Amino acid sequence: MSEPTVFIVDDDQAVARSLRWLIESVRLKVETFPSAQAFLDGYDATNSGCLVLDVRMPGMSGLDLQERLAAQRIHVPIIFITGHGDVQMAVRAIQAGAFDFVEKPFNDQDLLDRIQKAIARDADQRGKDAQRAQLRALFVSLTPREREVLDLVVEGMSNKAIANSLGLSAKTVEVHRAKVMDKMHARSISDLVKMAMQNHMA
Amino acid sequence: MHNGWSDAREMISGSDLMWLAFVVLGGTLAGTIIGLAVAMARLREAEQKLFDKESNHESVLDRLKENEYRLRTIIESEPECVKLQAEDGTVLEINPAGLRLVDANQPADIIGRKIYSIVAPEYVDIYRENMRRVFLGEAVVYEFRAITLKNRIAWMETHAAPLRDARGKIYALLGITRDMTEHKQAEEQARRHQTELARVARLSTMGEMATGIAHELNQPLSAIANFARGCIRRLRSGGLRSEELLEPLEEVCYEAERAGEILRHVRDFVRKSELQLKPVDVNQIVRAVVKFTELEARQHRTIVRLHLGNDLPKVLVDSIMIEQVICNLVRNAVEAMAEANSPQREVTIRTRMFGIDEVEIEIGDSGPGIDGSVIDQVFDQFFTTKPEGVGMGLSISRSIVESHGGRVRAESGSSGGTILRFTLKISGQQTSRHERADSLHS
Ligand SMILES: Nc1ncnc2c1ncn2[C@@H]1O[C@H](COP(=O)(O)OP(=O)(O)OP(=O)(O)O)[C@@H](O)[C@H]1O
Ligand SMILES: [Mg+2]
Repeated sequence: MSEPTVFIVDDDQAVARSLRWLIESVRLKVETFPSAQAFLDGYDATNSGCLVLDVRMPGMSGLDLQERLAAQRIHVPIIFITGHGDVQMAVRAIQAGAFDFVEKPFNDQDLLDRIQKAIARDADQRGKDAQRAQLRALFVSLTPREREVLDLVVEGMSNKAIANSLGLSAKTVEVHRAKVMDKMHARSISDLVKMAMQNHMA
Repeated sequence: MHNGWSDAREMISGSDLMWLAFVVLGGTLAGTIIGLAVAMARLREAEQKLFDKESNHESVLDRLKENEYRLRTIIESEPECVKLQAEDGTVLEINPAGLRLVDANQPADIIGRKIYSIVAPEYVDIYRENMRRVFLGEAVVYEFRAITLKNRIAWMETHAAPLRDARGKIYALLGITRDMTEHKQAEEQARRHQTELARVARLSTMGEMATGIAHELNQPLSAIANFARGCIRRLRSGGLRSEELLEPLEEVCYEAERAGEILRHVRDFVRKSELQLKPVDVNQIVRAVVKFTELEARQHRTIVRLHLGNDLPKVLVDSIMIEQVICNLVRNAVEAMAEANSPQREVTIRTRMFGIDEVEIEIGDSGPGIDGSVIDQVFDQFFTTKPEGVGMGLSISRSIVESHGGRVRAESGSSGGTILRFTLKISGQQTSRHERADSLHS
């Protein structure tokens, strides 16, 4: 996976540069954008990391951008930077799923800690996402008959019962079952059951 | 055969027609009435003339009489006051509506008397000046405060025009007068409401401005903090070339300047928006305030007396703000006397020179006075002894006076009551003139 990046969106260029200088001091990769629109245009969702976002911006506000990202199912963790007396905005942001917020003027360690946590959360999230996607790909590789056999195996039926229920010979069921185990890279039946349940929940 | 109307019409001079047009164009009913009245007056002259020339023509006379009668009926039934006055102000004629307006029971109550008997003293000069202009041939519109025969105070507006005899000599003023009291009260109320709004607006803009400034200043301040923290972190972890710190440190300096710039803007803004200083006659401000606190004073049976200094130099002030100060002080006086149920309720406003470069305004009342134990607190924000009071009046007044470079203080009067005094600087050019005069004397 690529190196995590901290994306900074702030219309005040001096503030954006100062944040870059501060965040780079802990050897994180930083990219800055002068507006919410510029971020939407330039952001590649495959990059891991987090977003540091000024709530108040002319044009599309930080909250607007958050909404747009949610609509596009982009789940990069967002840390809002709020000004004096923007508590209400901060509350709204959190309710809408923001990762965290810091109030200006903020303590640098505070901000850096939150950024690290956000990056970790994103990595974790992306790891899970990848696993889930992989699992889905495995399931997709099964033939319809193999799916049927798998479903019944997961329900706890014996080969014989499955053969009866599907009108197949026990031998054929045995072959399908070995094929499923192989395709799913499952080492045991319990492995297979777990995978099926995970896929079901996803 | 002669036609009385056309003769009368011929005799209406060009200038008469001009003001007729002027008044009618002004869109007033009064204009139309004046036109009719002029026609009527002319008619009487025409009648005389015709009588001289053709006294045997009975039918012409009848017609003229009929026309005059018709005009008279119109004027008599006219709902607004129509009157004729001589050059010295003597009321010559007045219609029933006019009698009602001045609270006269019969024509004899007012006809033959001087109109000035019903004009409030402070408006007599204005009234005289307008009379003078009418007798010079002008048509005028003027407003004045009247004290009717039954001592009712009323605001009146008169449209007046000259009446000329056959030789073109002006022999009377024809006036249509309307009672404007209700209109004035509505105006006054609107104005008071506006002053109140302006005060609230100023306070809320101050709040908004504070938020705006806080936000603006937060930007460079957080940038400075971030750059500085970044430098410290790098210095702590070591292994960095000192040149690398140059750029962020330059940014720090630049951002500090930007913060200074913002503060400078704020200062300019405050200076510009808060005070619109102009040289003004302080007596004029006092009169204006008396006008729009009049209703309130009257409602609380309070008499307002003015003892205004003569030839006071102009003061350099924002008159709206100073109006507000005087208004607060007068209102406090009126309220204090009403609340204490003082038998005699008088507010006296004096203006006078104070030292060589200040004017002092004094608002005294015949109320309960201020208790010695709280006299030091009355200027504090939210100090009030009134159930409905906010306690901002004196605090705002003090900050306005002080922002003008003046001082305000409260005292108990030697014979009871309260005295509030404040000073205002006179306008600069006059100071120098005074100084020049001083140096000439020495
Ligand atoms: N002329 C006066 N005579 C007696 N007491 C006075 C007089 N003027 C002011 N005070 C006292 O000073 C207090 C403060 O006056 P101030 O004008 O600041 O507030 P307020 O009149 O109570 O309320 P508001 O904010 O509505 O003006 C009054 O409540 C009153 O007790
Ligand atoms: Mg008050």
